[in-house]
Amino acid sequence: MDLGYINARVRGMHSRLLGQKAFDALMIQQDIPSLVSELEKTPYRDEIQEASVLYPGLKGIETALRLNLVHTCQKILSLVEGSDAEPLVRIILARWDVHNIKTVMRGKHLHVSPEEIEECLIPAGSLGEPLLVELIKQPDVRGVVDLLATWEVPFARPLTQYLDEYASARELSVLEYALDRFHYENSLALLKAGKSDHEVMRTLLMQEIDSLNLKNAIRMNRDRVDPETAQKYFLPGGESITLEKFLIMVKANNIDEIVGTVEGTPYYFLASLIPEAMRTGTFSVLEKELDEHLTRKGTGVFRSDPLGGAVVIGYLWAKQNEIINIRIIARCKDARISDAELEKELRHV
Amino acid sequence: MAGWEIPLGAAIAFAAGAIGTAWAQSRIGSAGAGTIAERPETSGSIIVLEAIPETLVILGFVVASMIIIMVE
Repeated sequence: MDLGYINARVRGMHSRLLGQKAFDALMIQQDIPSLVSELEKTPYRDEIQEASVLYPGLKGIETALRLNLVHTCQKILSLVEGSDAEPLVRIILARWDVHNIKTVMRGKHLHVSPEEIEECLIPAGSLGEPLLVELIKQPDVRGVVDLLATWEVPFARPLTQYLDEYASARELSVLEYALDRFHYENSLALLKAGKSDHEVMRTLLMQEIDSLNLKNAIRMNRDRVDPETAQKYFLPGGESITLEKFLIMVKANNIDEIVGTVEGTPYYFLASLIPEAMRTGTFSVLEKELDEHLTRKGTGVFRSDPLGGAVVIGYLWAKQNEIINIRIIARCKDARISDAELEKELRHV
Repeated sequence: MAGWEIPLGAAIAFAAGAIGTAWAQSRIGSAGAGTIAERPETSGSIIVLEAIPETLVILGFVVASMIIIMVE
């Protein structure tokens, strides 16, 4: 399909994203029922009405948001089918496949009930709801991997390769790392050199890899993981965080060494947050800042090339951020958290 | 000068304008269709935008006419 047509539709969809006024209206609501009423005035109306019938309260809102994201992703995919933007959208949607496979494996590893696993799934990728329901029915992680292999899902390859290691060590992180590594390597390999949209996507993926490596390195430093083990969990292909920097961060004996590593990289904004995070042992602020940085980059590509496929990428990032923010508002309202705290929790991009 | 050069010049002036208009309208048309699909309330502005490149072909027609009438 013509990119001009696709971009115009995506821009139309982008114009329906909630603005500051709509968010302010959501934030001033006192409780979940009034939040549901307010959401009924937004483009989430259909999903909210559908989900509220099935589940009351917070669960209804979360189900509606999930439904909306799935509908949006399916709509975008049907729009870009056969166009130059299709591989870019497929790469973005593959993240949901990774999320879903990891969620099912975690659920099976920790013997969580199928209903609880299903609540956490977002069938926005190539694995639709019926396939995910079949996955949940499997008795254990091996069953999940075997079923993925039977369906010839590409993600089964790295999982099958590391299944024995998982079985002997009972460490799910082995499989999760294999999945992440395969996803990023596969996605980067799909992108062609010289195409501006593909270069934009490559940069975003590389920054995503950096972000994951940074989070892992800081956590591993806190948990005093030995560098040899840590090295096994390094994701190659990042933009600024090399293996050398990663290992320095893991081995660092003081905060200054970690801060020094991010110096001269786009992640220097973390320098002021790392000491506090290391002292308190809570990394949520650090992770939030990193996620915000990544989201800012992702949503920023919407304004890059008006005639290219990057507009679609920017929209998908913006949509995801909007849903995350509504979810934060709903959870804070449910937990009766103050407006000031709620404001801090929101992702401002 | 009353040979084949005058009608050829007029034809080029008109054809170039027409080709330019066609190209511009095709791009505006596809983007406009996308916009109307998402936001039907914009259809009025889209029709105006779709018509703007017509000026190109009209200009080409005027130039072609002038060539035929004025060049001797």
